[in-house]
Amino acid sequence: MRVKIFRWKAIGPLLILLVIAGVLWWVFADTIARRESQKVGTQLLGAKVEIQRLHLDLAHGKVLIQGLTVASPHEALRNLLQADELVADVDLVPLTEKKLIINRIAANGLRFGTARQTDGRVAAKSGEGQGIAGRVLAETHQWASQFQVPVLQLATGKISFDSLDPRRLSTIPAADALGARADSSRRAWQLAVDTLRLGPTLDTARATLEKLRHARATDLATLNEARQAIERLKRARDRVTMLERNVTQGVSNLKSGLAGLDTARQRDYAFARGLLKLPSLDAPAVGAALFGPGAIRPFEQVLYYMQLARRYMPPGLLPRATTGPSRVRRAGENVRFPKERNLPGFLVRSAELSFQLQPNAEQPQRYAGRLSGLTSDPALYGRPTIATATGPQLGAGLMLNHLHDIPVDTAGASVGGVRFPAFQVPGVPLRLDPGAATTQLGFNLNGDTIHARFAIRSSSVHWTRDSGFANSTIGELIWRAVSGVSNLDVEARLSGALHKPGFAVRSNLDQAIGAQLRGVFGEQVAGAEKQMRDRVDAVVNDKVGPVRARVTEVQKQAQAQVAQQRARLEEVQNQLEQRLRELTRIRLP
Amino acid sequence: MFALIKLIQSLFGALHSEGTPGQLAAGIVLGSFLGLTPLVNVHNAVIFAALVLLNVSFAGGVLGWALLIPFGFLLDPLFDWIGHNLLLAPSLRGLWTSLYNMPIVPLTNFNNTIVLGSFVFAVLFALPLFFATRLGVTRYRATIGERVRQSKWYRAVTASKAYNVYKMFRP
Repeated sequence: MRVKIFRWKAIGPLLILLVIAGVLWWVFADTIARRESQKVGTQLLGAKVEIQRLHLDLAHGKVLIQGLTVASPHEALRNLLQADELVADVDLVPLTEKKLIINRIAANGLRFGTARQTDGRVAAKSGEGQGIAGRVLAETHQWASQFQVPVLQLATGKISFDSLDPRRLSTIPAADALGARADSSRRAWQLAVDTLRLGPTLDTARATLEKLRHARATDLATLNEARQAIERLKRARDRVTMLERNVTQGVSNLKSGLAGLDTARQRDYAFARGLLKLPSLDAPAVGAALFGPGAIRPFEQVLYYMQLARRYMPPGLLPRATTGPSRVRRAGENVRFPKERNLPGFLVRSAELSFQLQPNAEQPQRYAGRLSGLTSDPALYGRPTIATATGPQLGAGLMLNHLHDIPVDTAGASVGGVRFPAFQVPGVPLRLDPGAATTQLGFNLNGDTIHARFAIRSSSVHWTRDSGFANSTIGELIWRAVSGVSNLDVEARLSGALHKPGFAVRSNLDQAIGAQLRGVFGEQVAGAEKQMRDRVDAVVNDKVGPVRARVTEVQKQAQAQVAQQRARLEEVQNQLEQRLRELTRIRLP
Repeated sequence: MFALIKLIQSLFGALHSEGTPGQLAAGIVLGSFLGLTPLVNVHNAVIFAALVLLNVSFAGGVLGWALLIPFGFLLDPLFDWIGHNLLLAPSLRGLWTSLYNMPIVPLTNFNNTIVLGSFVFAVLFALPLFFATRLGVTRYRATIGERVRQSKWYRAVTASKAYNVYKMFRP
């Protein structure tokens, strides 16, 4: 019997199943899209993304989002932004290639930094290295932790320091290296002296001198022999001169090494001083201690978003693997294969933003912004991502240029008249309310080089004491210095290689606070510093003293040997030349 | 428990159906695709349609699906490795790039390491599974099949309502 291949009677049930699936999609598409958008947004940003309502109008290529809330990845009870309504015009044809091309977004009622009831952080709570956002958050947090400047810990009046580990001092390895170099130089110079082979030359010259003493003016052969001997002596002197230059250069290098030991010792003093657990009482260090921990936070947050942008918007057209969608089974990795002259996987051509910075103010100001070229494949789109925002006392701009191998990210903002929340000054029981302040931020990340500046200025600051203030000597001193000050001018700068940039903070309070601290603690700090230097010296001198003596000995020995060889040659040469002059002098009758 | 009973029903229903061993084996092979690869993907819609439309054992498909789901979870690291090596192989980059930039094809999620790895594994596994199952069913029917059919507990299992639903789709 011939077996039928198709089960024609199953077409009906299958069609019914398809119709049911279509109806379910029609009914639940908005809900599915809303949940997927929330899931993807949360995964991308590392913070909860919540949407109250999402409506897909595929017939007109429109997506409407209402009640968008994006939590801050850094702060537990704060939102990054909220939006009343977003309307997106979506290009439908690229959706068949699983590409999302948004021609235009209109965002209304944007608000930034609003409070929220629950902790919206996801990456920060999920542990290090979970997803791209988790990894970037951990990296930037690690990066920021290197700037933990010593806070003002003098409140107890005690100065403590950790034990000094000799292995962490740089002078000792430097001394070992210099000692080895001195030994090596001594061996090299001794070998060079031996290879001069002056003995045969001198012996021949002396024999010629002896013959010359008994020769007459007419004994031309002996005279010529003497001249040749003088020439040989001159050539030997040239060789000695070369050796002398070599020795002089080597001695100079060894002297530099000795100077390097002094520099290394200064570094060790500075390192040991760091173990004292107190800041320098110089004005810049006081500024860093007071405002450094707070000033590094804006840099950390901007760096987080820029590093995320670099991960999601990499330059070039090579295949890229990213974490796959979360599901019951393993997520795996999604590999994207961008292709020249094709559409990118994601693109927002332009967005128009309307937002408020202080929605709870009596007269909230409205601001406007534009965004263009936000894409997952900058090399395909061919233009950088640009964002601008303007309004009363506001100017902000952003450019993410990932078109070339080395990405360049730049951001700048100046905001005036914005009230910042009061904050605790690190290490001392003081709270600072900056009031309505003007804030400026400049940030440039060119490849792996960073240049950034953050400044805050206010003319209406308000200081308050904390309850633990009564027992704090240093707190009292600082209070005396700052309580009458109503102006605040703080500037923080970062500059250099991203992995270890220079960080400097200055404020208009540095001098006043530093002077107060020096008046009380200067002597105590100086005593502790001297004690620490003595400890370093005790460890280092045992090593450096013998090396210094050895270097000096090598120098003297080499210079003496060269001088001795030169003297021997000159003596014989002078005698030969003198005798030759005597024989060849014309005597008149 | 209900799932287990259904599985047993499916197993014996399929073994004693009127379909040939080849039809049963083909059904199990198609079902293995559903079990081994992540379910919510376009290729599985095609597999399901084939299971319904082709004259293969539907019960075999359900059985293959149910039996291979645990293997799918267990073998995910292997699928990830296979998919990763295939997707990032320089010699195949041109193929993947073309497929990725075609309409419809990217909707299959072939660019996911688990999806591609498990699909390739299921394809390679299909032929051995087909022949082994066909041989096993033939041997079963020739040896103990009739005695099982006459047993009381087999009649109890096949008397349930779920069995009646199954009979609608038997080959």
